[in-house]
Amino acid sequence: MNKILKLTVILFLICAIVAGVLGLINEVTWRRIDQIQTEKTARAYAAVLESEDYEDLGVEPSTINKVSINSIARASNGAGYVVEVTFSGAQGSVTMVVGVDNDYRCTGVSITEHSETSGLGANAASPAEVGVNFRSQFVGADDSVALKKAGGEIDALAGATITSRGVTNGVAAAIQAVKALG
Amino acid sequence: MNIKKQFKEGLITNNPVTVQLIGMCATMAITTTLFNGVGMGLSVLIILTCCNVAVSAIRKIIPNDIRLAIFVVIIAGFVTIVDLLLQAFIPALSESLGVFIPLIVVNCIIIGRAEAFSQKNTVGASFFDGVFQGLGYTCVLIVMCVFREQIGSGRFGGGLIDVSNGFRFTLDGTGAGIQLFNADYGASIMNLPFGGFITLGLLIAVMQHFLKKSAKKKEAEAAAAAEAEKEAD
Amino acid sequence: MTNIISIAIGAILINNFIFSQFLGCCPFLGCSSKVDTATGMGLAVVFVMGLASAICWVVDTYLLIPLGLEFLETLAFILVIAALVQFVEMFLKKSVPSLYSALGIYLPLITTNCAVLGVVLLNVQNHYNFIESVVYGITGGVGFMLAIVLFASVRERIAFADYPECFEGFPICLVSAGLLALAFMGFSGMQIFG
Repeated sequence: MNKILKLTVILFLICAIVAGVLGLINEVTWRRIDQIQTEKTARAYAAVLESEDYEDLGVEPSTINKVSINSIARASNGAGYVVEVTFSGAQGSVTMVVGVDNDYRCTGVSITEHSETSGLGANAASPAEVGVNFRSQFVGADDSVALKKAGGEIDALAGATITSRGVTNGVAAAIQAVKALG
Repeated sequence: MNIKKQFKEGLITNNPVTVQLIGMCATMAITTTLFNGVGMGLSVLIILTCCNVAVSAIRKIIPNDIRLAIFVVIIAGFVTIVDLLLQAFIPALSESLGVFIPLIVVNCIIIGRAEAFSQKNTVGASFFDGVFQGLGYTCVLIVMCVFREQIGSGRFGGGLIDVSNGFRFTLDGTGAGIQLFNADYGASIMNLPFGGFITLGLLIAVMQHFLKKSAKKKEAEAAAAAEAEKEAD
Repeated sequence: MTNIISIAIGAILINNFIFSQFLGCCPFLGCSSKVDTATGMGLAVVFVMGLASAICWVVDTYLLIPLGLEFLETLAFILVIAALVQFVEMFLKKSVPSLYSALGIYLPLITTNCAVLGVVLLNVQNHYNFIESVVYGITGGVGFMLAIVLFASVRERIAFADYPECFEGFPICLVSAGLLALAFMGFSGMQIFG
């Protein structure tokens, strides 16, 4: 009985020391991590539709064509709306932000979260030329946007048809969500 | 404490992935760009060295019955520290490696070295063991990354190297790498799980071939020396 | 409800834990030389993964998040898993001793199985609720079991094949696993109920 008690106490002590050290490191880093997150979202919003501020409309999350609509925010300068959507990519969920102007046309696309394969689907989110070129195809698109293989205008990413189709469907769903606002 | 011997062991004769055959999950999963490979390799090297030193320092006071639980707690601590630091200072690497950073906790290499080496050796020897085994692991990761990226997308150094304005390293993962041939001609299947399995299999096969050859050579030399000695008598 | 089905089929076929996400490779390669050992290991992993998902979700939701201690997730989860495996070992030793001796050293190794810790961390990352976490845990284990049993049956045949000497042991297994992964790629892009 004594032995088990001693073992438990030692284990508990070591856990406590480790947890304490982690708490210290967390104190040092959490503000920075939070800041990076907020900056990322703000950058994504600004990249698709420039405005000083965005007002969340508090819509109920819904699903259009297998794409989840997470939130819609209205740009305070009246330029349009920013829609956050989530869809199934090739290796898991992809979350992106779509800008929609008052004519129900896309103003830009920015991917905020994904776990796609580096070098293939991840290129859709990449800041390199290949990613920029892919995303800029969606500017000016309306909700009938489709890949070239499906009769539309969008060039899919090399070797990443599933991701490309997902982004295309996401843009279409975002525009439809804004239309549904009335 | 024989540093040269430990160096050779860590890199070649007792390499964690190709000889000991442990720690393979991450090796196959993240080796799609050089940025991932170098980042993961260095993270594992740092965590392995810190854990080796910590375990070796308290080896005389750990009760034998709960030693595995204590190892796991210490490893989880260091992994969380590295995870938090990466999220704060190199967020591109943290996003790219995803769930595989916390999974370093269950990477057999670290627990394996703690169990097999650092609980029986001095702090100094454990430190060097951690560094060299980590180096061996990083080398394997780099070889796999280079091979997969080259054949898969025709480029070298994705995410890490940027040659648009002269050669430089990009620590935020945005470097486009050196495109050696057009990505359209690459076999992009190498970037998928199939490529991971095949590349690791071929790498281990090559290592085994050369290790067997050198072992056979040593045997032949030893036999020839024994023969020569017998004749001399 | 449809979300549950899509999580389940996703975990078993589309994003199979071994062939798509690489979680759980070490026991996959080490424990798959015979189909019956593989089945036993697979069932143990299903049980541990389901139970670990449930307990870790509770710990995370009611202990770590309210206290703002998310940075302790890795530490807490691995301790829960280690304790759970210990209990499963004791339970098997008392009630199913044949399975206990068949699994041998591999049972404590479930603690270091990337799939178990992986599924728990993925539940947190994907913000699943309790039912979704447990479903993902169990079906992830089923996917693992499917992969390991399929692979064991392939490996039993490899023993009679004629391959170059340097491929002896793991390399030929890895190449075969790669071909299986290629086959499973056929499921990717399957969209069920979104």
